[in-house]
Amino acid sequence: MFHLPSPSSMEKPLTVLRVSLYHPTLGPSAFANVPPRLQHDTSPLLLGRGRDTHLQLQLPHLSRRHLSLEPYLEKGSALLAFCLKTLSHKGCVWVNGLTLRYLEQVPLSTVNRVSFSGIQMLLCVEEGTSLEAFVCYFHVSPSPLIYRSEAEETDEWEDVSQEQPPPGSGQQTPGCLGFLHVPSQTWDSPLQPSPGGGTEIQLQREPPDGALY
Amino acid sequence: MSSFEDADTEETVTCLQITVYHPGQLQSGIFQSIRFCSRDKLPSSEVVKFGRNSNICRYTFQDKQVSRVQFSLQLFKQFNSSVLSFEIKNMSKKANLIMDSRELGYLNKMDLPYKCMIRFGEYQFLMEKEDGESLEFFEIQFILSPRSLLQENNWPPHRPIPKYGIYSLSSFQSSSPTEMDENELMNTESLREEM
Repeated sequence: MFHLPSPSSMEKPLTVLRVSLYHPTLGPSAFANVPPRLQHDTSPLLLGRGRDTHLQLQLPHLSRRHLSLEPYLEKGSALLAFCLKTLSHKGCVWVNGLTLRYLEQVPLSTVNRVSFSGIQMLLCVEEGTSLEAFVCYFHVSPSPLIYRSEAEETDEWEDVSQEQPPPGSGQQTPGCLGFLHVPSQTWDSPLQPSPGGGTEIQLQREPPDGALY
Repeated sequence: MSSFEDADTEETVTCLQITVYHPGQLQSGIFQSIRFCSRDKLPSSEVVKFGRNSNICRYTFQDKQVSRVQFSLQLFKQFNSSVLSFEIKNMSKKANLIMDSRELGYLNKMDLPYKCMIRFGEYQFLMEKEDGESLEFFEIQFILSPRSLLQENNWPPHRPIPKYGIYSLSSFQSSSPTEMDENELMNTESLREEM
């Protein structure tokens, strides 16, 4: 399914998806199969437990095909946008405050908080002009990416979630690492957990457990 | 009989009926890979590709002017909806896809209304969706039209079309109900022989 881009298109910068991953109980071992870098063509990128997925995660609660990231172009735009769709029949995927069930989908923003089957994922989109392929860089976070509030939902949390830029706005937040527990390694170094330290600057309320499975 | 009475209730299935036409369809055999009138049952998560490359596409057209992958169809579920919806995506870098009056460029996608006309080059596809209950499967059925589906042949139609049966333009050409002339209907068997 993966096609190498033609030499002429190699000159155009690729759209980058910077993906941080965290699992509260399994830790980094949950992501042992995840490569540090994954380049993919413009077909939907499949994530799940199955062997036919492009990003395979060996987690028991994960569906064989759990979700897809589909690149596409908005009308009038020359930059790749992404649509996340739930492919799991039994589980659901929480994306930026929305719970997606089977075949439900949502366009991604510049910064996205995604949770499914206990996995927390922070996904940042950095625009590129190539329409042949895009590249994912993966990083394992030693600390949570989505804050789990023990308090009831309040207007304050709703205000926080509304601060995210609208989908397709092209608005780049000033370094998506500013929303993360900042790692000591660079994005290009081999995938390994970073040591502790640093402060989480902005987090979003995690959905109740029932919504994650 | 008891197994019929005790069996789980079958769900109806979303069906997309695609009526196709190309002015050179009789001479060129471009639709020879398509099985007309039969319903293909597919998993609802499948991305259905249409084009020239049989290794990639589920439905292929024997025409070098068709892109290796021309367009794709996939199902999704809108929030707060109990039925499945289709979206169409242009996969061709060379040809724009025209959906009714809207133009889709490369990698542009759009929700498919219940009924619409898809065009690229000289190809015409009338797509009509029939809702079903099942979220697991859907069906695609191809119908071959003997004549153009465009405006000069009363497209878009101003009268409701039959829910079942083969689409026929003759049903729109009179103001009162008339018997359908069986000679008006395309006999796919005779057409295959001509091809």
